Amino acid sequence: MLFWENIRLALTSLKSNKMRSLLTMLGIIIGISSVIAIVTVGNSLTATLSDSMLSLGANNITVYLDRKEIKDETTEEGYVFQNTDGVQEVLDEDLITNDMIMEYKEKFPDEVYAVSATNDVLSNGVSSVGKKSAAVNLKGVSAGFFVEKSTKILAGRLFTAKEMLEGRKLALVSEKYVEKIYPSNEDAIGQDIVISGNGKDYTFTIAGVYEKSDSDMGMALLVGSFNSASDVYIPLKTAQDITHQKNYTNVSVVLKSGINPNEFSKETEKFFAGYYRTHRSFTVHAMSLASVTEQLENMMNKLTLGISVIAGIALLVGGIGVMNIMLVSITERTREIGTRKALGAPNSSIRTQFIVEAVVICLIGGLIGVMGGIGLGALAVKLMKGVATPSVSSIVVSLLFSMGIGVFFGYYPANKAAKMDPIEALRYE
Amino acid sequence: MEETRKKCIEITGVVKKYFIGTPNELAALDGVDIDVYEGEFLAIVGASGSGKSTLMNIIGALDRPTEGGYKLDGLDVTAANDDELSAIRNRKIGFVFQTYNLISKTSALKNVEMPMLYAGVPAKKRVERAKELLNDVGMGDRIKHLPEELSGGQKQRVAIARAMSNDPSIILADEPTGALDSKTGRLVMDIFHRLNKEQHKTVVLITHSPELAEECDRIISLKDGKVTGVRPGSGKAVGE
Ligand SMILES: Nc1ncnc2c1ncn2[C@@H]1O[C@H](COP(=O)(O)OP(=O)(O)O)[C@@H](O)[C@H]1O
Ligand SMILES: [Mg+2]
Repeated sequence: MLFWENIRLALTSLKSNKMRSLLTMLGIIIGISSVIAIVTVGNSLTATLSDSMLSLGANNITVYLDRKEIKDETTEEGYVFQNTDGVQEVLDEDLITNDMIMEYKEKFPDEVYAVSATNDVLSNGVSSVGKKSAAVNLKGVSAGFFVEKSTKILAGRLFTAKEMLEGRKLALVSEKYVEKIYPSNEDAIGQDIVISGNGKDYTFTIAGVYEKSDSDMGMALLVGSFNSASDVYIPLKTAQDITHQKNYTNVSVVLKSGINPNEFSKETEKFFAGYYRTHRSFTVHAMSLASVTEQLENMMNKLTLGISVIAGIALLVGGIGVMNIMLVSITERTREIGTRKALGAPNSSIRTQFIVEAVVICLIGGLIGVMGGIGLGALAVKLMKGVATPSVSSIVVSLLFSMGIGVFFGYYPANKAAKMDPIEALRYE
Repeated sequence: MEETRKKCIEITGVVKKYFIGTPNELAALDGVDIDVYEGEFLAIVGASGSGKSTLMNIIGALDRPTEGGYKLDGLDVTAANDDELSAIRNRKIGFVFQTYNLISKTSALKNVEMPMLYAGVPAKKRVERAKELLNDVGMGDRIKHLPEELSGGQKQRVAIARAMSNDPSIILADEPTGALDSKTGRLVMDIFHRLNKEQHKTVVLITHSPELAEECDRIISLKDGKVTGVRPGSGKAVGE
């Protein structure tokens, strides 16, 4: 009964000092909204990550060419410098070769399930049929690539081993591509696809249509590149014939189940780095998707911690602001407090009244903060092309926390009001 | 005749000292003995600073005497704790102040409801009774008005309605007409007479006005914290 009356009183008091109340809430609003925003961003990032983990397989290892670290050298005179003599641009002969991959597979038959290699021919080329056109990336891929991506064929078929070996002019296109050009997936099979780019035209026959997976978007988000062009896959050999590149800057390894990708990535790195021991400029690194995810999550956690510290300070300052304004408020309302006491209000009622008022200020600030935080988080996630997933538990915790701040910082002023001497309070000018 | 009436307030040897920095102590009340009878209309008069308000605060259970005894309806008030004093103020006493002391930004109705709120009266009953009380003092058409929107006399009528809300047996009014012109003061005084005659409320009135004091049943004079005289009044409103 008194509860609703107290809330009504608190709202009346807030309404009569709108600007002051808003300024008081500011600290709470900033604190809560930054927490909610960062949790929203973190959540959707984690969701995207685990999505891509699932479909890409956390069991994969990426092996990639990397520049060796240039060590600082010291001259006889004591100058420190970086010797860049002989540091070269990457050439085809520096890249990971088919021979290395063969030897790798032979050395680890129990661990390696497939090795996926790609050869990028063209990115953002154009393929048109009549008036319709679509943007495409042209990619040569090994058989292992389809294993790695667990590619699903919607119409037509995959390349045969023979076709891949011979470097036939066949292509697998995405359903997104078909959508733009043909009425149905089946209509695309057997058609020619002409891709223009780099001043040349490349012609292939469509052998199949594959399903576009969501993880591609997730991956794009992770890598930070995003283009709307769909991938056209051709046999690796065919691509190598076009680009005259026989080797790879990176390959993916699909592991057999039960192999720990983190541990095996170290052995993989050791194996490939063996080829580059004496190389002046380059070496090879290997990492598992799991470790990338771990790194990203670590980074996210650090960011969350940093923002939480800032939010905590904002909330502390906000709480002190609430305490301050409550002290001002009870001083202004000293006569009211005296009157209430004269009319029979027990000390506990006065205390409750002002604690409720502080809690209401904080709760309204918390609500505004939650809404602001969701908006801010959604905006940030949208900029990263993800899907915002505000966390209900963090909202509930935030609101409870704001109420807690209200009780904690409202108690002292409320208790001061409760302990006022009624006569002194009534005489207050 | 007086012996047959029941005492509701018994004050014996009450001393109230204020310590305004040692060794200065000031006795606002210096050994006061007063009995008030049920249904009596009592006036307390005296110069400013004579201790009238101090006495009123002790009777109203807002303050405790430094020495002496105070019984209200046979109950020893000096032994009561803070919460018991609150309950006494809430149920047995109705305060009316010179400066009205209505809660600002709060409607006349809500102001009158307030003592009932602390008495735990359910909302519906509260509103009903508050409307009735405001009607009784002729403020029934202004229940939604804020104190800021009322004249002094209207404010004091709302304050009287508020004092009556828990149907207390005693009304304590500390210079209730002090801030009003004589015409509105008359109106307010008539309400006290009516409450005394029709509802048999005990009324203790502090006043500066000799005419208003004469209308009461009994007049007690205070000087320097001591009772200097007790005499009967007419007990009738002017023109009655
Ligand atoms: N809180 C206080 N502290 C110190 N002196 C006080 C206090 N309250 C009242 N007094 C003193 O007690 C005396 C009686 O005051 P009061 O009862 O208010 O007089 P009255 O109401 O008759 O004008 C005065 O001298 C006044 O200054
Ligand atoms: Mg006085």
